[in-house]
Amino acid sequence: MMSGRPLIAWGGPLALLAGIFWLSLFSWSPVPIGSWQAISALLPGKVSVLSQALVLNLRLPRSLVAILLGASLAVAGCLLQTLTRNPLASPSLLGINAGASLAMVVTSAFDPSWVAGYSIALLAAMGGGLSWGVVMLLGRGWDTAGDRSRLILGGVAVSALCAALTRATLLLAEDHAWGIFHWLAGGIAHVRWREFWQLLPFSILLLPLAWLFASRLNLLQLSDDSARTLGIRLGQLRLLVNLVVVLLVGSCVSVAGPVAFLGLLVPHMARAWIGNDLRLMLPIGMLFGAVLMLLADLLARAVAFPAELPAGAMLALIGAPCFIWLVRRRT
Amino acid sequence: MKKPALTLAILLMLVALVLLLSVRYGSETLSFADLHRALQPADSHYFALVEYRLPRILLALLVGAALALSGVLVQGVIGNPLASPEILGVNHAAGLMSIGALMLFPGLSVMWLPLLAFIGALLAFALLRLAAGNSAPLRLALLGIALTALYASITDYLMLSHPLEINQALMWLTGSLWGRGWAFVYVALPWLLLLLPLSLLLCRPLDLLALGEEQATTLGINVRHAQQLILLLALALAAISVALCGPLSFIGLLAPHLTRRLVGGRHHWLIPGAMLIGALLLLLADLLARTLHPPLELPAGVLTAIIGAPYFFWLLMRTR
Repeated sequence: MMSGRPLIAWGGPLALLAGIFWLSLFSWSPVPIGSWQAISALLPGKVSVLSQALVLNLRLPRSLVAILLGASLAVAGCLLQTLTRNPLASPSLLGINAGASLAMVVTSAFDPSWVAGYSIALLAAMGGGLSWGVVMLLGRGWDTAGDRSRLILGGVAVSALCAALTRATLLLAEDHAWGIFHWLAGGIAHVRWREFWQLLPFSILLLPLAWLFASRLNLLQLSDDSARTLGIRLGQLRLLVNLVVVLLVGSCVSVAGPVAFLGLLVPHMARAWIGNDLRLMLPIGMLFGAVLMLLADLLARAVAFPAELPAGAMLALIGAPCFIWLVRRRT
Repeated sequence: MKKPALTLAILLMLVALVLLLSVRYGSETLSFADLHRALQPADSHYFALVEYRLPRILLALLVGAALALSGVLVQGVIGNPLASPEILGVNHAAGLMSIGALMLFPGLSVMWLPLLAFIGALLAFALLRLAAGNSAPLRLALLGIALTALYASITDYLMLSHPLEINQALMWLTGSLWGRGWAFVYVALPWLLLLLPLSLLLCRPLDLLALGEEQATTLGINVRHAQQLILLLALALAAISVALCGPLSFIGLLAPHLTRRLVGGRHHWLIPGAMLIGALLLLLADLLARTLHPPLELPAGVLTAIIGAPYFFWLLMRTR
């Protein structure tokens, strides 16, 4: 744990993020971009070279979106794990990702004109909230005496159902099913500035909001009863935090598709790095999430260069063994 | 009061009915007169019926029965209501092995797929045992799901990095009977004709195992031996099914439970009953998959998941 040495604890991840961000601006590009050109393109002034235009119009928005995505999903994972006191809770395992994608796919099958801007993010959030509601209510998710595995298995079952319905809708309604499979794996190969601006308001609003809940959520880590005695209104807090989580996940899914495992892994990394205090864990989690997402995107470019794979597929490859390890470690 | 013989007879009739419907309906509806004529090679429907529809219907029958049986055997040994080849990750491992082999050696004959899938299934089970030991039901299921996620993510990766034809890819992701011809039936038939009756010989040890290990030992069977044999058989059945049709989900979970409610827990009723129900489920799923929106076709695995996932959820809530 690094909480005793703040310089390393915060400086390390920040430096790492900066380094990977810089790397993501120029590496593995079909058109060679120099490492210096990547920086000079960011400085104010006229863009003269093709590679600089590439950096400004393709690489920069993509890397920024990766940072926002990673931060949002990491925060969503931290909040979920605190809220359910379940170390395996995460947007993908509790069915939020699958519900959000289903909502998007069904909407686009009925009326493609909806699939743009903020409305689709809200729709995805609604779908995610719905499927999560099913998991929590039918799965007795608030029942702390129950087995923790049950909630996760319930989430997996609801995800399986949503995924099947999503595939069925896609196959029946879409002409180019193959492209959609790339989307369903989750990735950011297609993002431009438009997607960045679509994601930004959600992140700017919700990430600080999540941090404001941190001190009250800290009390929740003890037990429901002790939180109540300390004057926390549990129902209200849960509702608000759920809302934040669902909106964060919805905005991410609407831009990048269902990116799995990031929300599961980052909270554990952050906890190991800085400890259980959510006020510190959330910002560190954002940093780690951003680093991990950028890294996954870099890897996705690197392994199949000059083609590209969805970053979500790379994250799943990294995340699934960690998931197994987490299941074994607990209980 | 349960009357197992009557129930089985009704199930048999239902299977026959759905078989008949499956032969008639598809992207094109054939009347009975058409069907009769189509059996002649000169007829215009001959190809659609004999080369396309019949083999896949037969395969649905066989694979549905095999998957259901595999579920019965696994549940009989592990004594866990949530255990079934797909939940334990066996199906996806077998699928991963098959797809991996097909990508490495594109000219590979389908003859080899069952064997490779069986190796994959064995490895997956060994890995699960290694990771889980003798865990409580929910934890075992969770580990199985985690391993499934691993196999699925590798399958996804292979699929995305070596783009396939879409129906082909869907088959290996969710299981489907699309485009399965006689060659596949011939591969499946000898194995399944051997393994399906063999399982009926295991009724007594299965019944005894249901009493608990100590009781079973007192009553004179070698528990470890019987368990190993039954599990091997279950893995082989699941692997053959997956090698031919991809990782079809939830039939191996759903069919045994449904059958147990209909005919009770004695295995000499349970095994044939589950095979019938499994066949019925897959035939229905495939029929729906072909007729919902012709000429487009859904993978049958999507439909079995739409029925099976809610059932799994419900089962989960009842399991302690």
